[in-house]
Amino acid sequence: MSKYSVIGTRVHRVDGPEKVTGSAKYTFDLVLPGMLYGKVLRSPYPHAKILKIDARKAKRLVGVKAVITGKDTIGRKQGIWRRFPELCDEEILCREKVRYIGDPVAAVAAIDEDTAEEALDLIDVEYEPLPAVFDPLEAIKEDAPQIHDGVELNININRHIEWGDVDEAFEKCDHIREDQYKCCPQAHVCMETHDAVVSYDYGGKMTVWTSTQSSYYIQRLMADMTGLREGDIRVIKPPTGGGFGSKFELDSAQFPAAILSMKLCKPIKIVLSREEEFTATKRRTPMYYYLKLGAKKDGTLLAKEARVITEGGAYTAMGATALYLTGFFSSFPYKYPNYRYDGYRAYTNTAPTSAMRGFGAPQSTFVGESQLDMMAEDLGIDPIEIRRKNGMTPNYEVPGQAFIQSCGLHQCLDKIETHIKERGKLPPNHGIGVSAYGFMSGGIFNWFDTPYAFSAAVVRINVDGKVDLFTGACDIGQGSDTTLSMICAEELGVKLEDIRIHAADTGICPPDLGAWGSRETLMNGNAVKRAAADCKRQLLEVAAAKMAPNIVYDFDIKDCWVHLVDRPERGVSYYDIVKEAIRGRDGNAIMGRGYYTPHRKGMISPAYSFGVQVAEVEVDPETGRYKLINVTTAHESGTVINPVGIEGQLEGAIMMAGGYGFCEDQPMDEGKILNPSIADYKLIRSLDMPETEILEIDTYEPEGPFGAKEAGEGLTNPTAGAIGNAVYKAVGVRINDLPITPEKVLRALKEKQKKSK
Amino acid sequence: MSYHCPVCNKVSKSALDLARHMIGRGDKVHRDWISSKGFKYSELLTLQFKSFGGEGFKALAGVLEKETKVKD
Repeated sequence: MSKYSVIGTRVHRVDGPEKVTGSAKYTFDLVLPGMLYGKVLRSPYPHAKILKIDARKAKRLVGVKAVITGKDTIGRKQGIWRRFPELCDEEILCREKVRYIGDPVAAVAAIDEDTAEEALDLIDVEYEPLPAVFDPLEAIKEDAPQIHDGVELNININRHIEWGDVDEAFEKCDHIREDQYKCCPQAHVCMETHDAVVSYDYGGKMTVWTSTQSSYYIQRLMADMTGLREGDIRVIKPPTGGGFGSKFELDSAQFPAAILSMKLCKPIKIVLSREEEFTATKRRTPMYYYLKLGAKKDGTLLAKEARVITEGGAYTAMGATALYLTGFFSSFPYKYPNYRYDGYRAYTNTAPTSAMRGFGAPQSTFVGESQLDMMAEDLGIDPIEIRRKNGMTPNYEVPGQAFIQSCGLHQCLDKIETHIKERGKLPPNHGIGVSAYGFMSGGIFNWFDTPYAFSAAVVRINVDGKVDLFTGACDIGQGSDTTLSMICAEELGVKLEDIRIHAADTGICPPDLGAWGSRETLMNGNAVKRAAADCKRQLLEVAAAKMAPNIVYDFDIKDCWVHLVDRPERGVSYYDIVKEAIRGRDGNAIMGRGYYTPHRKGMISPAYSFGVQVAEVEVDPETGRYKLINVTTAHESGTVINPVGIEGQLEGAIMMAGGYGFCEDQPMDEGKILNPSIADYKLIRSLDMPETEILEIDTYEPEGPFGAKEAGEGLTNPTAGAIGNAVYKAVGVRINDLPITPEKVLRALKEKQKKSK
Repeated sequence: MSYHCPVCNKVSKSALDLARHMIGRGDKVHRDWISSKGFKYSELLTLQFKSFGGEGFKALAGVLEKETKVKD
């Protein structure tokens, strides 16, 4: 029997009823009295000087209330790497130069969307087109056009990671492989596009309702960009239809809406169209990967060297973090005694690239797991065995980088090996590919330069026993409201129904860095647990005084029963103790506070999850078409807080990561994205979804709340690699550039046939 | 043996480590020092990128080996 009452139980989401009935009010649904509608004019050029903007005709259109350009701003540049001013490079409303097709140059506020749209056509912008560059390998050439002043060879940022003596280790290897890979972009395709309603009042206060992954980041960035004080800006995140890494920077819905609202003192709503979502928001970072891997005959990996150049697009965004993390996770989940990584991010005249679920790790896992399978084949070693031989284990230190406490990788390998055996002999043209992975539970980075704790929570217990939980954590669909409510209920010893969560409203909630890097369960979970423990301590003091046992007993609360730990039948109702505690405190509600900032946990994350995934595919050798038959994942994420939530995360991850491996791409012509619609951008649909199985592995993470760690992004890491390895097993062709489309498979099959003749 | 950065005095255990620090730091003052030794910062970066083996770092380390303050 579980020692927990709430944790690990199968519960409905706390926001489920309003979501399934359609009564949840997203930013998209909000209407305020006197509200105007905004639209954004965007550059048709990938690289051009803005010579003149004439908005006189647009302003004369009936129904138009204001037109703004970059000249209406205070001329600052935003960036989420606030600690490094040179990386804050995005004006949002461009003043002198545009750097990609879609860069905003002006915005209109009108009485309705149609009028605003019509007004955009009346704004006359005179550009001087400049030479442009679209590929990072071209961008770093001497004669390439310079995209940002003073940035030599368009190298936005570089990252280096190294331990051991790599060159010496390669000399000792029995076998060395060198391989090249190319990883494609991917669109986030959130169901809710970027949107905001901003209301600036005559008192100088601004309220922002927006679909975001971090209310706090938007509050702070908006203050930077408008010159307002942080405390004069309130950011509220209503229910949000997805983020996946695309929604924690100030964007071209929020900022123009704010400037228009400040100009008119009226609420302004801007909702990006699906086309804008594809062309003018950020996307997964495309990468060129060069890998060198050395091993002994028995499969022991001695050295790895990785070189990466990423297509940065026009601005830094979160690309600098993705550049570091892809290098770090390129060593995962194995114990390389010698490792070297050099990563470069080049500016290009394309839509900026940034964070997307997995944050650089899906790329490194695809290339690394593909190459490891090739190494295993070269050495005649089973793919599971080479992973087992080199896989990370508990209490392993990644030299100079990270300390891994809990790690269930080997249990995952055992389960997957059994699963493969159970699948038995496969039919012709079927193949099973394996891919192992790991991921972080929140980042220990403060490039944002916040003075606050990384996570914080406040718990208030009211006289009827109802608990108000205040947190800055952002539920963007991943279910953090439910998970955090469960943690609060468990720690306090009450029912889930006793918790009422208030989240992601900077006006009433403590700051939290938000939902990125799979940080909410561990980081905010710890803050919530501590805040609940603070309240519980106060209640137990009252209980001890009331019950006055004749010997020293420990007290606890479970299932709303305040009791002696060693004699659980002796106790009083939680509800009665709450009433007495409040009465005894001069009527003040019981309040608890909790904070969490990781300390002494290396440079990356306080904890890491691990897993192994296998994909089974069936390939038609005549056409190259293939089907995903089955995807099975053995995953360990510490104590499972919310099992239904993990199942949802895993299925969603297979859909998203399967699409990355299988079909999603953003082809361009001279910087113009050619498939900016749901119809043309190929997502995995329900009929393409394979059978999915989850093999949950029990581990306990000492740093996590109740032993929990991440189960969100890591799950997107292995699938592309597993698909690539499965296709190879099925028909013997290896595709090194994503996505692995039927066309590429067919081409490779023909090439193989030609060579064999 | 310890090698002191000629710009910020950061201590490294080898000339190669110091080269990693100086190129990795990459701010104007470090870049200017690298330029004063006849290197182009961006060329050292692309040298790193063009081949395995850390060639860009090694090139700078060669100069640092001779020119920086060293303590036993």
